[in-house]
Amino acid sequence: MSMPSRVVVTGAGLVSALGDSPAALYAALCEGRSGVSPLESIPADGLNCSHAAQIRSFDGKRYLDGNLHPLSRFSQMVTASAKLALESSGWTAQLTSAEEVCMSLGTMFGSVYTIAELDRRALTVGPSYVRPVDFANSVLNAAAGQAAIWHNLRGANSTVSTGLTSGLQAIAMGVDMIQHGGARAVLAGGADEVCFQSLYAFDRASLLCACDADGLECPTPFDRRRNGLILGEASALLMLEDGDSAKGRSAAVLGEIRGFASGYEYMGWKDRSKAIGVIARTILSALDAAQISPRDIDAVSASANGSKYLDDVEAWAIAAAFGDEARTLPVTAIASMTGETLGAAGALQTITMLGVIGNGALPGVRGFAHPPDGFPLALVAAEGRPVKADYCLINSVGLDGDCFALVLARPGLD
Amino acid sequence: MSTVQPSHSEYARRVVVTGLGVVSSLGLGAHEFWDNLLAGQSGISEVELFDTSPYGIHLGGEVKNFPAAAVLSDQEIMRMGRASQMAATAGRMALLDAGVDVARVDPERAGICIGTTTGEQQELDRFNDRHISGKPDRVGRGFLSSYPCSAIAANMATAFQLAHRHVSVISGACASGNFAIGRAYDLIRWGRADLVLAGGTEPFSRVIFGGFVRLGSVAPIKCQPFDRNRKGLIPAEGAAALVLESLQSALERRSRIYAEVCGYGLSCDSHNMMAPHPEGVGAAKAMRLALAHSGIRPEEVSYISAHGTGTPSNDRIETIAMKKVFGANAYRIPVSSIKSMIGHTMGAAAAIEAVACALAVHNNRLPPTINQEEADPECDLDYVPNRARAHVVEVAMNNANGFGGNNASLIFRKCHI
Repeated sequence: MSMPSRVVVTGAGLVSALGDSPAALYAALCEGRSGVSPLESIPADGLNCSHAAQIRSFDGKRYLDGNLHPLSRFSQMVTASAKLALESSGWTAQLTSAEEVCMSLGTMFGSVYTIAELDRRALTVGPSYVRPVDFANSVLNAAAGQAAIWHNLRGANSTVSTGLTSGLQAIAMGVDMIQHGGARAVLAGGADEVCFQSLYAFDRASLLCACDADGLECPTPFDRRRNGLILGEASALLMLEDGDSAKGRSAAVLGEIRGFASGYEYMGWKDRSKAIGVIARTILSALDAAQISPRDIDAVSASANGSKYLDDVEAWAIAAAFGDEARTLPVTAIASMTGETLGAAGALQTITMLGVIGNGALPGVRGFAHPPDGFPLALVAAEGRPVKADYCLINSVGLDGDCFALVLARPGLD
Repeated sequence: MSTVQPSHSEYARRVVVTGLGVVSSLGLGAHEFWDNLLAGQSGISEVELFDTSPYGIHLGGEVKNFPAAAVLSDQEIMRMGRASQMAATAGRMALLDAGVDVARVDPERAGICIGTTTGEQQELDRFNDRHISGKPDRVGRGFLSSYPCSAIAANMATAFQLAHRHVSVISGACASGNFAIGRAYDLIRWGRADLVLAGGTEPFSRVIFGGFVRLGSVAPIKCQPFDRNRKGLIPAEGAAALVLESLQSALERRSRIYAEVCGYGLSCDSHNMMAPHPEGVGAAKAMRLALAHSGIRPEEVSYISAHGTGTPSNDRIETIAMKKVFGANAYRIPVSSIKSMIGHTMGAAAAIEAVACALAVHNNRLPPTINQEEADPECDLDYVPNRARAHVVEVAMNNANGFGGNNASLIFRKCHI
């Protein structure tokens, strides 16, 4: 993909188990703090895993003034993070009235909790007790629609659902909206909430980590002892802008999206060497799109989340893509602390790497202590390390045979 | 075969429709569907999926006796929820219709893009049934791979072994099909793909049925878009797939071309989750953007496939929006709503209607709006009442509006080389 015009990041907003600002998230990650805790407000009956990285006592009123009754919890998360992103990038109400801001949101489960509760109420109490506002929140694009109403976002509004890669996919589509669609500004990112339905889905598929008594050892991405992931929730949005427009309004620029690529193995990841090959090729395609070579990458944010299989193929794919450089390549996996945040993951990873570019330190992989035999990524460690990052790679590996890679650059590089 | 030497870069980036597939209450396959549309048939019937007695309304546009086994293998059927089965069936029919030999398609240059509003809702219905009956452990380990929306495109990619990139599910509520086709069009004209299977799917579900009943938006007997006595929409299900490819690819394959995709426009009302902006501002904007992007003047449009749900507010506001965009020409351009025949297929609607537009362009015929009995003074355009019509269709516009204020307008024209 050639990049006809530059797309920059002028701000970001998020709500997560580790805080509600990029600075809070970054500080927590660098301290090695875990967002995992015992489940709140969700019955653990029938579940093998009793922990998740939830936003404890999330209250939309903390961020949004007005009647929140029409918004589901999930919609409140997205609408709150949109507000924080608009504020962080200096997009005032006056500006959003004058210009059309677009939205590109990625989500794996969307409003599954609201849809399920709506159905349960109809079945147990009767159809006439269904709340119309719940029905409005049941479509996959509901949260993006609510955010658009709340914040006067009148540009194109799109929701994409591609599993764990949804966040990076949505950011890439935001870049396309600017470079090819004539958009000036796009709120792009992803969101998913922890709920009984998503927990149950992962639990029944035997993908969740078997926790110890207080759950603090889970998850441990890349580690030989890993036995699964822990779900987390978040909504994270970046404000993407056309570079010239951002310059025109003297906006602070945090980073630049330089290139991206998607990959798909339609038989899934069943064949290990094919999986490694597809993920590695996708990484190299993203570097190609950014017009850089592997040795230009200074740090990698892997999507590794504690999955026995996916962490393995991702590690070896990074090694295959970077060759000899892999031995000296700093790699982090923030899911070790945020949990696996599904649709939000790619956006949280990107916001973290903006912090790395700005502050010069890469968070460690919490709990990593025992590398698997022959582990190819020598610089994966529990402790963080200083990094001067001009170019960062953000990688995402999904469950279905899909993967996505994105290159983020320090502002002002040629 | 034309002997004109093509400008390769131009032909490589023009986008045409070469294959169509439909699963609907009016038939399986684009041609049976089209014949029934032109005959003014209704696909509405008594709902069989669940007991409708608590709702007081009993009709829907279900696809009954869906012969998935005619097109999908037993293994595919077992793995897929209904949304995927219908989408994969439509997709397979579209690829056959286009004469595509998948073995000769470069998977690095192909894609699949599908729209939906709630995805595999029947899988969630089953989850809830087990949960409520106290048997959540009966939920299978396959729920994670069968329920999330991404499964729809993933299932199609596996079934067709078509694409190594650009596989996605996209949602703009009831405009999702236009979003997906627009995305496919972009991927080809930007040079990232040469062939993309695009469309939409939505299974029948008690959540969607019950939700619209609760809103008081469902017509008890028939769907009568734009009619004075219209009472609402009729929930329905279905799927459609279109093979979009570069003109160059279509010419090289000597493929039949139904129509060219010229462009699309998207807008967001930012007004209300379930009701359109009362002055049709967003819908008008989407139409204007589509026309501007396509380089087509309003007076050049030959036919409009309306969103036309049959609700009092949508049809009135949509008429206002069309008048805003087309001025006096609005009274000259025929408009019809095939929802009068198949009901509202939600995430599949815009895609099924896109198939009808491509066929209208190809065949120079217009499907009717049936159930027209009494004219509404507020809806005073030519809605092709009750009978199909011969009409030269140079340019067709496909409009769709959805929850969240999403509006999408897509334009087809005859392909001239």
